[in-house]
Amino acid sequence: MRLILRAWRRNAYLYRRIMGQNLRAALEYQSDFLLSVGSAMLTQVLGLVFLGVVFSRIPTINGWGFWQIVFIYASIFLTEGFASLFFEGTWRIGYFVNHGELDRILLRPLSPAVQLLSSAIGMNGIGNLLVGGVMIGESLTHVHMVWTPGKILFSVILLLSGIVIRTSINFASNCSAFWVKNAGNAVPFMVHSISEFAKYPLTIYAPALQALVGIVVPYAFIGYVPAGYVFSTSGMAWIAVLCPLVALYCAAVAGLILRTGLRQYESTGN
Amino acid sequence: MSLIEVRALTKTYRQAVRQPGLRGAFRHLVHQRYTERVAVDHIDMSIERGETVAYVGPNGAGKSTTIKMLTGILVPTSGEITVDGIVPHKRRMENARRIGVVFGQRTQLWWDIPVIETLSLLRDIHEMPAQEYRKNLDFLTELLGLDEFMHLTARRISLGQRMRADLAAAFLHSPAIVYLDEPTIGLDIAVKERIRGFIKQVNRELGTTVMLTTHDLGDIQDLCRRIVIIDHGRIIFDGALAEMTDAFARERVLHFQLRTPCPTAEQELQRIPNVTVSGLSDTELSVRFDRAFISARDITGAIMQIADVSDFRIDEPSIDHVIKRVYDGTLNLAVRKGGGA
Repeated sequence: MRLILRAWRRNAYLYRRIMGQNLRAALEYQSDFLLSVGSAMLTQVLGLVFLGVVFSRIPTINGWGFWQIVFIYASIFLTEGFASLFFEGTWRIGYFVNHGELDRILLRPLSPAVQLLSSAIGMNGIGNLLVGGVMIGESLTHVHMVWTPGKILFSVILLLSGIVIRTSINFASNCSAFWVKNAGNAVPFMVHSISEFAKYPLTIYAPALQALVGIVVPYAFIGYVPAGYVFSTSGMAWIAVLCPLVALYCAAVAGLILRTGLRQYESTGN
Repeated sequence: MSLIEVRALTKTYRQAVRQPGLRGAFRHLVHQRYTERVAVDHIDMSIERGETVAYVGPNGAGKSTTIKMLTGILVPTSGEITVDGIVPHKRRMENARRIGVVFGQRTQLWWDIPVIETLSLLRDIHEMPAQEYRKNLDFLTELLGLDEFMHLTARRISLGQRMRADLAAAFLHSPAIVYLDEPTIGLDIAVKERIRGFIKQVNRELGTTVMLTTHDLGDIQDLCRRIVIIDHGRIIFDGALAEMTDAFARERVLHFQLRTPCPTAEQELQRIPNVTVSGLSDTELSVRFDRAFISARDITGAIMQIADVSDFRIDEPSIDHVIKRVYDGTLNLAVRKGGGA
């Protein structure tokens, strides 16, 4: 147990060290940085405008009000922001595998997962974080509810779970590069676009789609399920207890896929 | 037990067979066919602590694949490897602590951060005590001249500087074994010499075991006493470099300069068995012969009788020549397999 704890501390420390260097390198290209943050924010504001237009005609969707849906919508963005700011490296797994750059990672005495996760910093994530954060803040002030310390604590746990779930799904889908050996591997983008469905309440979809977003690729546990807990939607509070478990499950699956991939990694010539 | 033990090591790659063109691509989508390519075929090898071994072979012979299995990057298809008592691919990280690797074709450095920061990150990754880091860094800085470019990012430095930085990164944590895969590729003579000098000194002073793959025969001659030749995934020679030249570089060439033209000399010499003669001009002759069958003295004696020789010299074969002939398949070294160190 002490050893495991020590390993995690070391991983966290080295992750921070490497990301610190990435940040310094990223800040050298200032105009690039501002551009990517700006464009990320613009995309989301446009999405929100679209949502506003829909709600100006339909006041509620399946019992969910405008601000409640904004919360679900924003949760998807917020976790996306965290995932790209801190774990952009997941999107580079394909590059590492296809170019044989994974060799370099395997030659260092540090977990490949940590090295892959810390291999890049996604400054555009800041845009997602800002817009997502502001939208969630807004939605919470517009819906009346009672906050207790317990509720605040569990909400933070839900947010952390959401970040883990999203990062794990990104990681796992990008690991498909170990099997799909071409540069334009579409699998991760396909899986990522499923998160579009998770921006709205799960109940508006047909059962097959619900199963996809709720079980196969459990994006529902990032926005929809936490929203059910936060707004005390009847019968949903207890499902939120599953969020941390789903997060652990997703992380474990991602780790397993990485390990299987590494076993049959073939590097490149020379 | 040796530091590195390799038994019946084999690696087979599965390759997709794809017909050319768009139709082929579509057909592949529906009906996938694969062939197996054996890159490394049942090789055996033992390397002792402190040795410097040249691992040589033509492109595609299986050199890099072997190195990648020894470092734990690739999982062998079959066979056994132990490196300092560890099976590399099973305990990759533990193995990584004790080895240093340079792939000449590809940098190990972080592309966007200054070289000194890369080294400092590696110190943390290898959990080096501050004092050891200081000491090693000073040593490497002096020997490799890192000062010039330490504060530049890997992206901005020249190929020669990058290779020096890569060597520093590989040797930083005082590894017991260093694998160098074409460490002098594309470098000018000055940098090559500096790098060779560095490798020699580290091997001598710290007893670091070095396994080197290269196409540069200067590297081999300069650095290695032992040579292992691999071709088509099989080891075809393993022994001392001197032994190889003695046993297989038996061919010599005698060049004669004649004072007066002697048209019959060429024909006369041609009659001696196991000799090929080529006349470059009226007064110049080259005689190629196998030392095992005839001596230089006999040939010189024969020509002295018929022609007026003003000068002559003898060419010894270079390792370069021997290895080239092995690659070409004109020299069969199979008999020497498993010569040992």
